[in-house]
Amino acid sequence: MRYVKWTLWAILALIVGGFLHYTLPQHDIVRVVGTYQERQDLNDWTRIFWADPDDQSAALVNRDVQFIQAVDARGRERVYRNEDTGWSWPPYFKFDTANLQTRAEDLKSTAANPQWVVVTHYGWRNQVLSIFPNAVSIRPVAGPDVRIIPWVNIVILTVLAGMLLLLWRMWAQFRERTIEPALAEVGEAWDRVDDRADAARERARGAWGRFRAWLGTWRAKPPPRH
Amino acid sequence: MIAFARLVVVLFVVQTVFYVLIRLYVRSLRREKLEKRWEREGAQGDRDAYVEAGMREFDASLTPKLLLLVYVIPAVVIGVILYATSFR
Repeated sequence: MRYVKWTLWAILALIVGGFLHYTLPQHDIVRVVGTYQERQDLNDWTRIFWADPDDQSAALVNRDVQFIQAVDARGRERVYRNEDTGWSWPPYFKFDTANLQTRAEDLKSTAANPQWVVVTHYGWRNQVLSIFPNAVSIRPVAGPDVRIIPWVNIVILTVLAGMLLLLWRMWAQFRERTIEPALAEVGEAWDRVDDRADAARERARGAWGRFRAWLGTWRAKPPPRH
Repeated sequence: MIAFARLVVVLFVVQTVFYVLIRLYVRSLRREKLEKRWEREGAQGDRDAYVEAGMREFDASLTPKLLLLVYVIPAVVIGVILYATSFR
């Protein structure tokens, strides 16, 4: 039973953690090396890893998606898609895809003369599923070792923790003020029912019952042992 | 526009559920406080009347109106995020 409980908790933690890891913004310090646009087929289940830039796009089987190619300080390739999230999930309210593509184009640099930038993005890169993180913003920074404090994540996680605490307090208050008094009332009512049942049993015995009881008093007692 | 309408509707439903819950919670806290204060003040007079008078006073005060911020804050946050991601 204990293993089942822990397994369920682990699965829940994995789902919640994975969801937050996918959705919350992350920062990469990279060099932009290029941009391209490619038609993407969107008619299988990996559709969930692509955005819905506008209402028509939800029904399209394929459409053009813009990409930003970058390389980080250790030389690893980073490829981002660049899509509007619009009014849909996740709530980045990103509508400036074309501007972002222009800025990425403007910040392109070579290994010999690098221009380092911070790319804020959400999502995962997976080569097998062919999915890409979505770039949300790009800004130039001094070098590849700049320290970035994830303020947005700090605020969001703090607010989420506060909401959980509040919901827990609300539940505790509800239990203390509503459920427990109701249970106490049920207990008292049950005691009253029990008393009434005892009284009814007493009455139901009636004259015949009392006579049987009187007969019982004449029954022979076991003989005393010597 | 469909996505925007969906956002508005979903947000409104979530906000309303949360508003009802937090209103119940805050009023329950106040009721408990009034009951305890009645006992501390020597348990004089009718308890229910004392609590009800206190609750009427509470409902007329600023606190329950502040709970309507449940509808305001998300709209402001959305505006700020929209500006920060798309117009800067």
